[in-house]
Amino acid sequence: MSTTLTSERPPEAPTGPEPERPDGRRNPMAAHPALWLFPVPALVLYITFFVIPTIQGVVYSVTDWDGFSPTAQFVGVDNFVKIFTGDDLFRNALGNNLKFMLVVVVFQTVFSLALAVFLTKNSKSSVALRSVFFFPTILSSVSVAFIWKFVYDPNFGLVNSVLGAVGLDRFQSAFLGNDGQAIYWVALTQVWFHVGQMMIIFIAGLQQIPQELYESAQTDGASRWQQFRHVTLPMVAPATAVVMAYTTVQSFKAFDLILGLGGNPPKGSLDILSTRIYSGFANSQFGYAAAESLVFMALIAAITWIQRRAVKASSPDA
Amino acid sequence: MSDTPKIDRRRFLHGLGALGVGGALTACVGPTITSRGAGGTAAGSAAQLLPPVNSSKATGPVSFAHWRAEDKAVFDTLIASFRKANPQADVTQDIAPSNDYQSTALQKIKGGKIGTAFTAFRGAQFVNMNKAGLYAGLGAQPFVDNYFAELIKTGQADTRAQMGLPYQLVFNMPIYNEAAFEAAGVSSLPKDWDGFLALCETLKGKGLTPIAWPGGEPANSGQLINSMVMNNMPTDTAFADIEAGTRKVTDDWFIATLKQYQQLAPFFEANSTGTSSEPLQQLFASGKAAMLATGSFHISAVRKLGAKFPIGLVAPITVDAAKAKYEGIYNATFILGVNSAGKGQDAALKWVQFLSDPVNAAVYANGTAQHVTVKNVEYTNADLKHNAAWLEKKTMLAPRFQFNNLDIRAAVEAACVAVVGGTSPDQAAAQAQGVVDQKRK
Repeated sequence: MSTTLTSERPPEAPTGPEPERPDGRRNPMAAHPALWLFPVPALVLYITFFVIPTIQGVVYSVTDWDGFSPTAQFVGVDNFVKIFTGDDLFRNALGNNLKFMLVVVVFQTVFSLALAVFLTKNSKSSVALRSVFFFPTILSSVSVAFIWKFVYDPNFGLVNSVLGAVGLDRFQSAFLGNDGQAIYWVALTQVWFHVGQMMIIFIAGLQQIPQELYESAQTDGASRWQQFRHVTLPMVAPATAVVMAYTTVQSFKAFDLILGLGGNPPKGSLDILSTRIYSGFANSQFGYAAAESLVFMALIAAITWIQRRAVKASSPDA
Repeated sequence: MSDTPKIDRRRFLHGLGALGVGGALTACVGPTITSRGAGGTAAGSAAQLLPPVNSSKATGPVSFAHWRAEDKAVFDTLIASFRKANPQADVTQDIAPSNDYQSTALQKIKGGKIGTAFTAFRGAQFVNMNKAGLYAGLGAQPFVDNYFAELIKTGQADTRAQMGLPYQLVFNMPIYNEAAFEAAGVSSLPKDWDGFLALCETLKGKGLTPIAWPGGEPANSGQLINSMVMNNMPTDTAFADIEAGTRKVTDDWFIATLKQYQQLAPFFEANSTGTSSEPLQQLFASGKAAMLATGSFHISAVRKLGAKFPIGLVAPITVDAAKAKYEGIYNATFILGVNSAGKGQDAALKWVQFLSDPVNAAVYANGTAQHVTVKNVEYTNADLKHNAAWLEKKTMLAPRFQFNNLDIRAAVEAACVAVVGGTSPDQAAAQAQGVVDQKRK
């Protein structure tokens, strides 16, 4: 009698040496059942650090738990109803986040692609410039926030000082103190912070494009712009999809940069979804904040899915 | 080969899935969830009352959780003295930045592994920590008598039981450059609102920034609201009432306060709604700003930036002199406590007892340039001595910490920033009241 799980395959199921599949490939797991144990450590980590917190989040989201009491009351979908119908702070944070995401995704993608196009060749100067543009990425968010806090300070900051020195006082701004502009200035900081990182992804994508395609296009009389438009852009679509998806997620999670620039809690004009959720937890509203977290997660998933569909539709293999 | 154990993939995956779900459910340790209508959320466990501290020496480790990184060196000195007196004990400081501490300390300390002795901000954090049963009661401790009874009320539970001991006494009102005032010909502090506006006008006329106000930093910009409302609504519950719904941000007294913020706007530094406190401390230390509208807790910082002039405290009196009830604002915070969970309560209690000794409290006070709530402390720090008169004046316990809901507090304080930024008082108040109404539900 077998000491382990036994097969209950139908009698006609083959035994002995594992036959090839109809498609000609061997079933790798048939080689030795112990192979099934190999994913276990990863699964344990995944379950511990993702599945369990997610389930906990779902459970808390339908309660009014404050984060420390031994009991909580089941409130059904009340938290979700309140999020969508009776919470101006959440709506404001969502609006800020969408503005932030739009600016970051568009500008970070465009700038990183432009830099990558100019720095694709592995010349010494290109490599040096890549290092320069990549440098901000290795800084911590808190350092970046402090640097830009100085840049944006309306009285002692770099930008207003330079504008004042060259006689462009009328363009001086309160920057983060201007509620209508604040989130865009933070978005600009985010673009500066991560454009080098995305540039590397694009360079990897650009270097995969066969040179023959450009030679062929040149033979056909294509201009530089036409080569970019009809060869580079379609061929770099997979990298674009990665950059846009990553940038989107990054935009929703720009938590530390916002707190660094806007303080904790940030004022309304700088509040994004991640900081709003954090404020909920800090305010001992774990149930409500958990519900906000689920909405947040669903939103990122939806936007990423839409983006991927859009990029896939425009890729050459579509 | 026929003996080779075979595992059916589907069964294996089912088993693994069941294991995962089971593990997940088992690990979902959280609150007991009661059905709708089965009663409100229960509070934490019943408060524990520590027996009076004994005379034996402290033994074992103490984790002291707090947020004042700037006080680390002074606490290191005190810890060295404590270890000298208690060789078998040791205290380690577990310091988190104040914002993080405000947000996460309760969860970190709850288990008792961190923060066998800990501190809390007055207001929402103390209320929640106490509700969570973190504070072991100190009511039976003889060293409680070392404190000014009036000043440690903020460390009491609703039942009046003494759970924690507020240690720091700060004045959350503007500090001012006395030399600059003198140079501007100001011989006495204004006693009413017109006098205060005239003072600002005079200072501005001398080329100074009358008030440096960090409108871009919610945590510090909100300090000014304390003195702006202390006489406009001189009750101990003005903001608590807003949170409770019995007063509104749109009430006349608060609209009047917002209009006064509007009147102050020209006397703040340019683009004040985007400025944080660090550059303003520099502005004040350099003598270019006459007042810094934060609090006495920044005196030490501006001294480090090179301020040599005498520094005093001044609060705007927002009403006529005859109607003014308060002269300034104080706050009793940094509420010391002993964790009801975990091990090492005895050593933690003896550490709190050690800090409560007037000699040790003096080391803390003079080293950090903060007054303390402990009696018979000899202040040798020049700034503390200089402003010691405020300990006797008619001051109000800082009202902004009456808010227990941080979103409501942020909304009300944001209304003040908004009017300085150009929003009309009525509109700013209506927006804030909208948030209050939603968050009260």
